[in-house]
Amino acid sequence: MGSVLQSRLRPLLWIVGVLFLVFVGLQFVRPKLTNPPVTADLQTPAEVKQILRNSCYNCHSNETKLPWFDQVVPAYWLVTADVKEARKHLNFSEIGKLPAAQQKGFLFEAVNMIQMGAMPLPAYRRVHPDAVVTPDQLTVLRNYLTTPPDPSNAAEVGAKAVTDAAATDVQYGKWVQASQTALEVKPEWNGVPFDPDYKNWKAISSTDRFDNHTMREILGNDVAVKAIADGHINPWPDGAAFAKVAWQQAAPDEKGVVKTGAFIQVELMVKDSAKYASSEGWGWGRWRGTDLKPYGKDAQFQNECMSCHEPVAKNDHVYTMPFSGQTAGGQ
Amino acid sequence: MRSLGVCLLGAVVALAGCSEETNPRVVTRLNTDAALVGELPSNPLQGKVITSWIDRKDATMSTMFGNDVAWKYARSNSDSKYPAGAVLSVVTWGQQEDPRWFGGSIPQRPKAVEFVTVTGPGVAAYQRYEGSPLKKVASVEGVDPNDRASYLLAQRAAVMP
Repeated sequence: MGSVLQSRLRPLLWIVGVLFLVFVGLQFVRPKLTNPPVTADLQTPAEVKQILRNSCYNCHSNETKLPWFDQVVPAYWLVTADVKEARKHLNFSEIGKLPAAQQKGFLFEAVNMIQMGAMPLPAYRRVHPDAVVTPDQLTVLRNYLTTPPDPSNAAEVGAKAVTDAAATDVQYGKWVQASQTALEVKPEWNGVPFDPDYKNWKAISSTDRFDNHTMREILGNDVAVKAIADGHINPWPDGAAFAKVAWQQAAPDEKGVVKTGAFIQVELMVKDSAKYASSEGWGWGRWRGTDLKPYGKDAQFQNECMSCHEPVAKNDHVYTMPFSGQTAGGQ
Repeated sequence: MRSLGVCLLGAVVALAGCSEETNPRVVTRLNTDAALVGELPSNPLQGKVITSWIDRKDATMSTMFGNDVAWKYARSNSDSKYPAGAVLSVVTWGQQEDPRWFGGSIPQRPKAVEFVTVTGPGVAAYQRYEGSPLKKVASVEGVDPNDRASYLLAQRAAVMP
């Protein structure tokens, strides 16, 4: 009886032994992860810094400290790849070299990622529960970003507004003269064509982006508008398309009214689950300036679109909560 | 190598039975607050966007729409001499924080809907609707449109190439 069990167990022990040796051997396959010098660390109040250090710095800085369980392969491979990717996108140890507005932009994005549950990464949060940003900590970050800027640079801001107003007038003057002439617009680098018809689409929302002083109109084509009326917006049907048109916010007039300033860009999202299967089912495009120049240097530009829309992946990658009532009869 | 790691981690997560609930901010829904409910003579949302503005003091945001006649005129003329048949409509909403983008505000409840209907050279009718549901609170007709109608007719189109 005993020897039968032994003979059955033996191969199993062999397998376990071999697997253990493979496991030990793999520990020596270690991609290099170094901590380069901190060159331009983020400058913020101590309580803000403390939260970022605790929840973000392990991946988004040059001060990565890995606990022992992250040192073990395969966790180590994952963490190393994540840290490298994270530093490429946002590195708090080097962010200080960017203009102040751009630094703030990154912090707004960071707060968005946190409150949407996208950061720290869900898998990372499970293994590092201490890194979770608590609701109180989130409030500290939000308050920091919504505190009005130092009034001592108001003169500078005022001077900039005057320059912007003149540039806006010139841009408008040229456009209103020539708006009847169709522009020749190149497709995006990923092949998504520009659709000049976007300006005939229906408004489905608008946004006042006080974080970067822009304002937007979000427009939907007939397929999108029908999907809204039918309540079929997750997933959106093939053929649905959105345009997000962005302008600078002009300086407030004497009544405190902010009008549309210079045109910045129009962005398209075109749904085709088969054609655009490799980019979440959407064709992404951004055309900048009144000459509508395709954004980016190559097709890689769309990774920017997709990573920004990742927090709303469960909402078919669409941020906009559309209002309804665009079809005949309305509400 | 990395994909092997991902597979292993995926297996661990699957075994642990962890599944994240959808963050309430991401739950799919319409912005029902912003719907235009009431007896309006026409539906502004069927028009085309001409421009928009934000009132910082009132914390409101407005979008000006036009019918085809108004929209075409606004895009190629910088004066306010709209031809007869042009209809401008302006929806003004209160603002709410965009739950999906900290740093942005989106429309909340409509505060007012206004219409300017041009019937001839320098002749326009002005109507204003307020409340929930929206009800007519002002109606002015005649030559020399009132101040508000003149103001709306004078708004230049936002650049949309």
